[in-house]
Amino acid sequence: MPLPTPFFPRTSALCHSMKWKEWAGYYAVCSYETLHDTEYYAFRNSAGLLDVSPLYKYRVTGPDAAAFLSRIMVRNIEKLAIGRVSYCCWCDDHGKVVDDGTVMRRGEQEFFVTSADPCYSWFSRFLRGYKVELSDISDQVAGLALQGPTSRDILKQVCDADLDGLKYFATCKARVNGFEVYISRTGYTGDLGYELWVDHEHALKLWDAIMAAGKNYDIRPAGLDALDVTRVEAGLILKDVDYFNALHALIDDRKSSPYEISLGWTVDLDRAPFNGQAALQAEKEEGSKWAIVGLDIDWPQLEELYYKRGLPPVLSNHAWRSSIPIYTAKDKRIQAGYATSGTWSPILKKNIALATVQKKYDKIGTELQFEVTVEHVRHTVSAIVSKTQFYNPERKTFTPKSSKS
Amino acid sequence: MSKTYDIIVIGGGHNGLTAAILLARKNKKVLVLEKRPVLGGIAAGEEFHPGYFTIGLLHDTGTVRQQVIKELNLAKFGLKTKARPAIGLLSKRGDCLPLSADVDAAASAISKFSSKDAAGYKEYAAFVSAIKPFMANLLNELPPDLSALGTKQLWALVKKGLALRWLGKKTMMEFLKVAPMSIADFLNEKFETDFIKAGIGAPALYGSFNGPWSSYTTINLLMGESMAHEQIAGGPQALVAALEQAAENEGVEIRTNAPVEKILLDTGRKVSGVKLKTGEELKASIVASSCTPHVTFYDLLQPNQISYALEHAVKHYRSRGTTAKVNLALNKEVLFNNVGGLEFYRTGNSFDEMERAFDPAKYKQFSSEPLLDIHVPTVANPNLAPAGHSVLSILVHFAPYNLKEEWNEESKKKLYSIVMKTLENYSPGIGSSVVGSEVLSPADLELRYSLTQGHIYHGEHAVDQLITRPFPLCAQYATPISGLYLCGSGSHPGGSITGMPGYLGHKPSLKIVESSGK
Amino acid sequence: MSKKYDAIIIGGGHNGLICAAYLAKAGRKVLVLEKRHVLGGAAVSEEVYPGFTFSVASYVVSLFRPHIIRELELAKHGYEVIPMDCSFLPLPDGDSLARWADPHRSRREIARFSKKDSEVYPEFSRVMTHMGKLAKAVIDHPAPNINSIHPKEIANLLRLGKAFKDLGPDLLNLNIKLVTMSALDFLDLWFESDVLKAPMSVSGIIGTFQGIRSPGTAYVLLHHYMGQLDGVFRSWGFSKGGTGGVSMACARSAMSYGAEIRTEAPVKQVLIKNGEATGVVLENGDELYAKTVISNLDPNRTYLKMVGESHLEPDVLKDIKRFKLRGSSGKVNLALDSVPEFSCRPGDGDHIRGDIAIAPGIDYLERAYDQAKYGEFSTRPYINAVIPTLTDPSLAPPGKHIMSCFVQYAPYHIKQGAENWPKYREAFGDTVVDTLAEYIPGLKDKILFRQVLTPWDLEQTMGLTEGNIFQGELSLEQLLFQRPVAKYSGYKTSISKLWMCGSGTHPGGGIMGASGELCAKTMLTSRAI
Repeated sequence: MPLPTPFFPRTSALCHSMKWKEWAGYYAVCSYETLHDTEYYAFRNSAGLLDVSPLYKYRVTGPDAAAFLSRIMVRNIEKLAIGRVSYCCWCDDHGKVVDDGTVMRRGEQEFFVTSADPCYSWFSRFLRGYKVELSDISDQVAGLALQGPTSRDILKQVCDADLDGLKYFATCKARVNGFEVYISRTGYTGDLGYELWVDHEHALKLWDAIMAAGKNYDIRPAGLDALDVTRVEAGLILKDVDYFNALHALIDDRKSSPYEISLGWTVDLDRAPFNGQAALQAEKEEGSKWAIVGLDIDWPQLEELYYKRGLPPVLSNHAWRSSIPIYTAKDKRIQAGYATSGTWSPILKKNIALATVQKKYDKIGTELQFEVTVEHVRHTVSAIVSKTQFYNPERKTFTPKSSKS
Repeated sequence: MSKTYDIIVIGGGHNGLTAAILLARKNKKVLVLEKRPVLGGIAAGEEFHPGYFTIGLLHDTGTVRQQVIKELNLAKFGLKTKARPAIGLLSKRGDCLPLSADVDAAASAISKFSSKDAAGYKEYAAFVSAIKPFMANLLNELPPDLSALGTKQLWALVKKGLALRWLGKKTMMEFLKVAPMSIADFLNEKFETDFIKAGIGAPALYGSFNGPWSSYTTINLLMGESMAHEQIAGGPQALVAALEQAAENEGVEIRTNAPVEKILLDTGRKVSGVKLKTGEELKASIVASSCTPHVTFYDLLQPNQISYALEHAVKHYRSRGTTAKVNLALNKEVLFNNVGGLEFYRTGNSFDEMERAFDPAKYKQFSSEPLLDIHVPTVANPNLAPAGHSVLSILVHFAPYNLKEEWNEESKKKLYSIVMKTLENYSPGIGSSVVGSEVLSPADLELRYSLTQGHIYHGEHAVDQLITRPFPLCAQYATPISGLYLCGSGSHPGGSITGMPGYLGHKPSLKIVESSGK
Repeated sequence: MSKKYDAIIIGGGHNGLICAAYLAKAGRKVLVLEKRHVLGGAAVSEEVYPGFTFSVASYVVSLFRPHIIRELELAKHGYEVIPMDCSFLPLPDGDSLARWADPHRSRREIARFSKKDSEVYPEFSRVMTHMGKLAKAVIDHPAPNINSIHPKEIANLLRLGKAFKDLGPDLLNLNIKLVTMSALDFLDLWFESDVLKAPMSVSGIIGTFQGIRSPGTAYVLLHHYMGQLDGVFRSWGFSKGGTGGVSMACARSAMSYGAEIRTEAPVKQVLIKNGEATGVVLENGDELYAKTVISNLDPNRTYLKMVGESHLEPDVLKDIKRFKLRGSSGKVNLALDSVPEFSCRPGDGDHIRGDIAIAPGIDYLERAYDQAKYGEFSTRPYINAVIPTLTDPSLAPPGKHIMSCFVQYAPYHIKQGAENWPKYREAFGDTVVDTLAEYIPGLKDKILFRQVLTPWDLEQTMGLTEGNIFQGELSLEQLLFQRPVAKYSGYKTSISKLWMCGSGTHPGGGIMGASGELCAKTMLTSRAI
């Protein structure tokens, strides 16, 4: 029995499609209209407003807060500047990823952490010896993602923050109609966008303010279906889809290291001991077994398969997340890996996927075979290994007013 | 510049010294660090009242392993053994049964109470001696490695299985049947007299968090019985004295009053030495800790130096101390149920009463009539007290560490009066002959001896904590931290004065030193 | 003297009936003899009060083996078990904890008591489910005989060894803990909240004369996570028509294969000639002959009453006498005028459709045990109650309800002597009702009828020695090849042609059906029949 989020009075009134799903025990909109296309285009062309309240949220404060988080995270949080956000993951003893999320440094001794899975118990296991207070504020703080090219203009209307100066992966405090909001320039669409964190009591006021200000900027409430397409385009991985929480995996084969899920860049090895350090060091030296890659699936070949059956190519406009075998180009009997999620990209006009492949097949440009089923018969089509970030607009990271200049 | 050693041993108890001697014998430069002014830890004798001495916190030396004495050549350093003295089993009806180490003598003493019990005792003793080879195999050798399940490990397990099978089908089946039983069920089958059953079974409860009706207490009983051997003349402190001399002889450097603050690791997470509370740093690439697992991993290392798995294992290693110590200085020789001259006495009286003694421990209270393990060191050594006077060294079960009303002078006073009241049952008027006393609560034991939660065995003797002691990650004395080894009672084969953790524990660390020295 | 039957089965409990069904299905001529007028043994439904059908003794179905349902076509014969959705724990302070099938709902409930525990709870389930593989390897096969060097026995031992090895070192070590630790210590490895640990730990003590702190009680916790391995979503459920429904389905299946079943046919003794069982003699003096005799009774009754000491070798006699059958529980069944309402969570919501535990804390449970140790029934006992009429209204008149309460501790050996139990029966019943009334204020006024079964009563009516519901304690030395005795496990007995198929044999306990099934299969494969 899911619960409503603080935005439920608004989202439920707008959700004409009645398409809901359960997200972390809350009701979440899949798409407001029957088709999610307009919501997708809002993310890419104007602005989409997404309720992300079901994310788990933690506050870490105290003199050892940075040291404590550094012990847990693969990144060195002690080096994170105040007002900056770090995207990172955290590992078990064996260097296998437990979860990923963001860590925001709000003050010298104050951090805000988001995660996809409940992590209070995991974090609290490491409290011994640290002067730190860890609190789960998931049920007190609501979250909204305002994503898309016009998001900055909209947000400027409702708050007093210096948004032109707020850099990619920076965070600041702002006031909206007399109440406090934390803004971070982060998101899951791979586009210009912000995430806003507000106490439950002000949630609806924030929603209303943004929706009112967004009217002239073509804002739309957006659901998870549109988000899923954008996140694949942006090459952002999803827990329980592209990898599994190591604590939930019953067999080792289901666990992944950061290096294996394209998060190797977040690992900072040379520093005080942290969870999984020794294993990660060894893996870095010895090499990983797997890698997550992007796959650009050959469209003409797919078209050809459909034409042969007298059909036009039919693809769902939904992103998919079922495991699909990937074979080597030379021999279709040899499995190179498996695709875990993918979508038809409306903006790129490409059929794309994220796949886990054996390390030897992860070079960009490598040709592989992707399994497709056309009219109940299995075939393969060519798929070229590419960067996971299929779509990466300049506006995502562009800051109008660079603080250095 | 700080001094460099091959190996630093933390803790100068009997296990630490044993390990140090064996390591030094291989021409290693060994340093032993003891936080107290005296060596010996729980085996150290103390003057608890002016002119009155104990011979150790624990007082039974019948468990010291023969191969330790032999291999360390302790006889050369003045160690003398003597036959295990009789233990007086006390009943509240006024009986005192001297349970001799000699089976026939014991049986004939028992027959005065019950001929069935005398026969039962012979059967019991025969069973104990039948399983001794298997128990010795378990206790005297490195434990099976369950951290991985390769062919080597499985073969080691199969060998243990064969050692059991080697006892013969009948003994094996009987062992498998009775080992998981409670001592009450096991001994009820053999005996009918309550205080005899209780007295024989009592040691099974020492150092475990159990009453006599709890399952798996029989395995503890059988383990204790299988270890029982000759006693050391002069008790634990005599053992320590011999060990000290042997250590000196091997060139072991010993520093007392040298509490360790931290074990130091280098950037590669390997042991590089220790830092003393004084700030002094000493270098060594191997550290062997005879402290409890909790002290070793929680107190002597930084939190981020141990993995989560280790953190979890230490946290859940059960060492709920339930034993207090009461030392009494008496101005005369003591009689129990009108019998004097015995070195050891046990109370218990019946399984019911023992179970009732344990019950309060579950609710964080101490027994209203505790189970007493009494030693009279002055019987064998009158010099421990003024002439004609005597000393009682009493281990009191059960007094939980996490006492609800907390351990302080007042609660200790209450415990003392309960102990005295219990003693009065067996030695009326004993209170009037007390000239001095000392009460050590589990909290005091923790403070004085660094026993985590005051547990006298560095952790409960429970089956899972005996099979892989203290826990699977460190069950082979090596720890996940490169260069750090365990050699205390928290390791195989466990607590009480055996010397075995130090003896077996020196081997893995020695292997490392020797391989790195090449 | 013609032997009309291939096998006579003494006792029409669910194991006896399953054994009969398997043998009959294989073409054997089988007769089942039940002393009572109803079938089912402890898994029995009876209309004790007009209009109300009680599951008199055993009241929920947990580990019934799914392959038995498939192989004996039990669904066709009326087997229907409705899973329970909730475990409800009312607390004296007005709070309560309900654990649901919905993981997020459970998480939110548990988080009120401990945030950490709420997140660890699913982790615990995952690990236990994983370990359940091992339990499955144990209960779905006859126990290995470690004394035999027969290739089949060695293969069986190796199979079990492999199941252990396949767990990997971490789970293997955890398994050592599971087998030897107390339920409470084991749960302490995961949880911090008493409110969660108390109702979870009782799974380890049900039917045993042990406390939640007694070593060896952790193992039974595992059984609760095995159902999922069988592709069953929830392992605990109500049988349609009461637990007798399961027995009746087994009986109908057996009869469909040609088995003959007689009720009100109490057996007095097994006929033994030249050390071989040749049949049985009934209480009325009739002698019935068969090629084999199978006892569904507990080991104590089988060996000491049906066979008799004079036929036993001394070491078998010794082992049978030391076989522990310590009844520790009683049963109180209530016919109610309307739905009982808990003051802490009023209404007849989903929370009371599952099992309801009166287990408000660790010390509460331990004190309940302490009393039993010294020969008294607990004045504030652990109660596991269900209201099956919410799920299966056919059991009572419309709007009326049944509350079926399993009560522990009620030691068989009270200090006044077991035979004096009848004098204390009503006092025991009062204790149970008083305890429940602390949580259900109007309960007493709703009671139309009360049935109280002490361990003594369970022995007298169901034939369970000392009222032990599992036909023998589930302690390590009474499991596997030591159940019931080391020399004669594997469903054989020391008497040639006499077999056993009750819960007193491996794997034993609960409405599993495994003992009956494995006995029949062992007999058939060894051509004993």
